[in-house]
Amino acid sequence: MQSAERRTDKKIKNEPWRDPNAEAYVRFENITKRFGDFVAVNNVSLKIYKGEIFCLLGGSGCGKSTLLRMMAGFEQPSAGTIYLDGQDLAGIPPYERPVNMMFQSYALFPHMTVEKNIAFGLEQEKGLSRSEIATRVTDILEIVKLTPFAVRKPHQLSGGQRQRVALARSLVKRPKLLLLDEPLGALDKKLREATQFELINIQESLGVTFIVVTHDQEEAMTLASRIGVMNRGEIVQIGTPTEIYEFPMTKFVADFIGSVNMFEGQLVEDLPDRARIKSDELGGLIYIDHGISSAPGATVWAAVRPEKINIQRQPPANTSENCAKGVVKEIAYMGDVSIYLVKIDSGKTVRVTLPNVERLSDDERIQWDETVWLTWHASSPVVVTQ
Amino acid sequence: MSLSAARTVGTRGTPGRLGPVWTFLFRYGPPRWTEYLIKNWAGQRLVISLPYLWLLIFFLVPFLIVLKISFAEFSPLGRPPYEPVFRWLDEGALQIKLLVSSYTYLFNEPLYVSSWGYSIMVAAVSTVLCLLLGYPMAYAIARSTPTYRNVFLMLVILPFWTSFLLRVYAWIGLLKTDGVINNVLMWLGIIDAPLTMMYTSFAVYIGIVYSYLPFMILPLYSNLEKHDNTLLEAASDLGAGPIKAFLRVTLPLSFPGIVAGSLLVFIPAVGEYVIPSLLGRTDQLMIAKLLSDEFFLNRDWPKASAVAIAMLLLLVVPIMLFQHFQNKELQANKK
Repeated sequence: MQSAERRTDKKIKNEPWRDPNAEAYVRFENITKRFGDFVAVNNVSLKIYKGEIFCLLGGSGCGKSTLLRMMAGFEQPSAGTIYLDGQDLAGIPPYERPVNMMFQSYALFPHMTVEKNIAFGLEQEKGLSRSEIATRVTDILEIVKLTPFAVRKPHQLSGGQRQRVALARSLVKRPKLLLLDEPLGALDKKLREATQFELINIQESLGVTFIVVTHDQEEAMTLASRIGVMNRGEIVQIGTPTEIYEFPMTKFVADFIGSVNMFEGQLVEDLPDRARIKSDELGGLIYIDHGISSAPGATVWAAVRPEKINIQRQPPANTSENCAKGVVKEIAYMGDVSIYLVKIDSGKTVRVTLPNVERLSDDERIQWDETVWLTWHASSPVVVTQ
Repeated sequence: MSLSAARTVGTRGTPGRLGPVWTFLFRYGPPRWTEYLIKNWAGQRLVISLPYLWLLIFFLVPFLIVLKISFAEFSPLGRPPYEPVFRWLDEGALQIKLLVSSYTYLFNEPLYVSSWGYSIMVAAVSTVLCLLLGYPMAYAIARSTPTYRNVFLMLVILPFWTSFLLRVYAWIGLLKTDGVINNVLMWLGIIDAPLTMMYTSFAVYIGIVYSYLPFMILPLYSNLEKHDNTLLEAASDLGAGPIKAFLRVTLPLSFPGIVAGSLLVFIPAVGEYVIPSLLGRTDQLMIAKLLSDEFFLNRDWPKASAVAIAMLLLLVVPIMLFQHFQNKELQANKK
């Protein structure tokens, strides 16, 4: 009992959004932004807490960058208010906001050395002595591991180094809030992963609040304390990476985050502890071990993640529910996992991923054109109604 | 690549509707010698060498002739009016007679010295005026929407559609004592007596700034137009207000454009002949006018040549600077 309480306390400390009394650090209230007839951001309300890494995730043109640019002050909202630490930001120009931004293109000054680029922001602050600026620049160069490159110009640096200069330049001012626009977009996969963890370390040691804009769900998953998924100018779901992945609330979110097999069907049974969906796309029934609380007969979608589906050569004991027979059409060996595309009897292609736990010979592995049975556990499907 | 492709087309079947020449080319490809030229980049060499040959014949050779004349001795009754520099003596020896008197004259004669000083001053002041006027214009054009941008650029270039001489003459009509400007000012009651504007340095500045402003605006525009707006956003984000951001980001980045524009104004302005002759002071000549007088009135070819050479040397420094900065900008653009 006591340990459970302690767990709750810890949870609230790490996840301030669960505490109803917590004061939001950044508040977007009914923000709308129109460019002519085009509504880029539509009535977005959002609370972000101190110390969070909040990721705005969405495809291109979903309004996530516009939201960020309004926070930085480059765009003015057509309606609504943005509060930072209780202060209304309306009418405050970008150069007076205690907010710094790391640009997608990095926007390093090409005519200045790395040092000068980083010092630029400090030189704009009043009451900072030259020696103080120099020490802070040296310190931040140390943190981002760029000390040997201090006197180089941006064009003499690699993409990863430029990205770190951009990060250092935005961090050196010790902003209350750091905005990052696709921060790792230009980096290759290895470097991106390393930098992601580096970013988290820096964020934890400096205690800055981050708002990150990205279209890359993997990036959002690793970085974020919470993710806000955006579509067509609206926030469709806010939650921790786990919540977003395991409990998507709409078809869009389920589809956007990771890959998913979507089965359309009608709700035939809906009780508090179980539900059944009759799906023509599956050619059978989907059994779920919790209630949906929706109207009987309603059209719903059951989303099953590829890694939650089992693939086997023998038919299972119960073939009437959560089960489909099909033929393997494609196999992609990715090293750590293999992806199978199975055409089931109803005609739909289902995606299944299996981890390659054992090193199997080609004979033991499931092969092309083999007939297989797909099954999943009753807790696996997520049912969405829109 | 494309050659072999053409061959393949030929072997697959004759393109029926094309004429016999094309059919032939498709079947057998281009003749061997063109293939050879393309392979060895001789085409590129040819393209480069033709204009260089032109410059060699019509620029370098005349320059050497002028250089030679500048060292010759003036002979007022001669035809041409100078003593030959190179002469074969009867004994078969080559006599070379070089005089530096034309050059020493340039530095000792007060008329020349003051003309040099005046030319450089007029050119420098005009350049600064063009820069002060042209920079905001170029900036505004670069920042306007694409539709307006083309209109504005067109308006900058539009004066070139009329003859340069005609436009300078038109200024006489505007500036003279009973000209348009004086009449309007008197009619408005701003002045009682007409202002003396013609035949002053003021008129020369007006003429030069008016004529050369596009040469300042265009290179500045082409530089400013390439500026990345996010750099200004970054500056603003880091706490720099609009003026600071301009001084620390836009201005330094437009430096190559400033240099290019300034040289394009300064270099021709130093040697400007028409504008000061038509609008300028009669008591203070610019160097080009002096040169032409020396040549056509005094018929002193050696001195005229020496002036020309000295002017060239004076301008070589800014021209080389111009080249240097242009190369620098080209390299920056490649990145």
